[in-house]
Amino acid sequence: MALPLPPGLTPSEVGFLCEMEQVTVIPRQRLDGLELLGGPTEALRPPFPTPLPLWLALLLKKQRRANITPPPWLSVEALTQILDFEMDERTAEVFSPSPDLPAATTTAPLEGDPYLAHDSLELSAPFLKDAATSRAQADALPYHWLEVGHLLLTHAADDFDDPDTVRKLLRDLREVRMSKLRKGFKVLDAGGGVKMNGVGGMEIAEVRGFVGGVVDELRRLNRSREESRREREAEERENGLGSSSYRDDEDEDML
Amino acid sequence: MAYYSPTAILTDAQKTPTTFSLAVPALSPLNNSAPITPTTKLDLPLWLAEMLAVSKPAGPSSSALATLDMPAALGGKVLNALRADPRSVELRQQAQWFYGLGERMLELFEEEEMGAVLLDTFKQRALEIADKAQNTRTAQQGGDSGDFMSGLDETERQLFRAAHDGTHAVKKWFETTSRT
Repeated sequence: MALPLPPGLTPSEVGFLCEMEQVTVIPRQRLDGLELLGGPTEALRPPFPTPLPLWLALLLKKQRRANITPPPWLSVEALTQILDFEMDERTAEVFSPSPDLPAATTTAPLEGDPYLAHDSLELSAPFLKDAATSRAQADALPYHWLEVGHLLLTHAADDFDDPDTVRKLLRDLREVRMSKLRKGFKVLDAGGGVKMNGVGGMEIAEVRGFVGGVVDELRRLNRSREESRREREAEERENGLGSSSYRDDEDEDML
Repeated sequence: MAYYSPTAILTDAQKTPTTFSLAVPALSPLNNSAPITPTTKLDLPLWLAEMLAVSKPAGPSSSALATLDMPAALGGKVLNALRADPRSVELRQQAQWFYGLGERMLELFEEEEMGAVLLDTFKQRALEIADKAQNTRTAQQGGDSGDFMSGLDETERQLFRAAHDGTHAVKKWFETTSRT
């Protein structure tokens, strides 16, 4: 038998991965650059802000060797603005957008979008640089917003101007977005999809088991109907459409 | 479905009413050693009933050994109740693997309408399961969850567990990272 783990990342795995995010620290002590498996870190020279992986930053924070600068989106103003967007009736259908993608470095053979091409390598959601450093975009929640926000608020609360308000705003955001996700469950169908642009890693990990189960079962229930529909279409193609060459052309275009 | 999947095996072990159309002396152990004559009705496991229904004996007669009837769990009464209010029907009382049985029957019979009712039922009940799985703690204390769970078929129970596990795992991560 295979591993008893469900497919996809579990919430604790997502939480572990978020510790690889870079955050900006303001060191209090000198420290030479470290050669880590994930790449070398910059040397720490107080008082210059330096990007470090979150886990290392938290470790230094606990030892009082550094302070962490919270990313711009983890401020009262930015979170209030995002929360307003989430609560607005006009945008009730969508999640607040994720940060802008960096400009594409390659030109795609496809007209328009190099992110969809197979042979180019463009970074997108979980791998975006500077999602949680002080250079992060202020008006958008990055992929690991919930995890990074929680870890920083728990272990580096004294680096925030107003940790309690930020904590409250984060909790509100989580609840608003969760209820939006739940509303999205209603449109789940055997062939349908839910638009999940801007949904964070932890939120996806939380609902993955349920959504996967629902879609699997819907597809199983729909299978016989789908098969008979395909057979009917195949028959129609064989029987009646030899005369109309127009439809044949259309079918080939679809392939 | 997969050969070694317990779900598939248990689904196929559910009983279906089968009517024999020929006398089959060799199968009388199925009928408590009473002889099987045409029009004998037996409740047989789905895998056996299906084999009997599709196999044709050698010889002049071209009819199959037996014909399948729709199990009571998917009968008109239940479907009407589901059409009226999917949430109020206790599917587990009908069949332990209700949806599995439905899928197998949809494969064997052309029942467009039954398929539509089952799809609709599943969708509506899934939403309720998602809500209930969110706040099991309060539900369990009130004793409401027990009643609710006893009405779910096995597929729905797995769904309930998946939804609950997701929320629980997130909560656990938050708790463990809050320590130290």
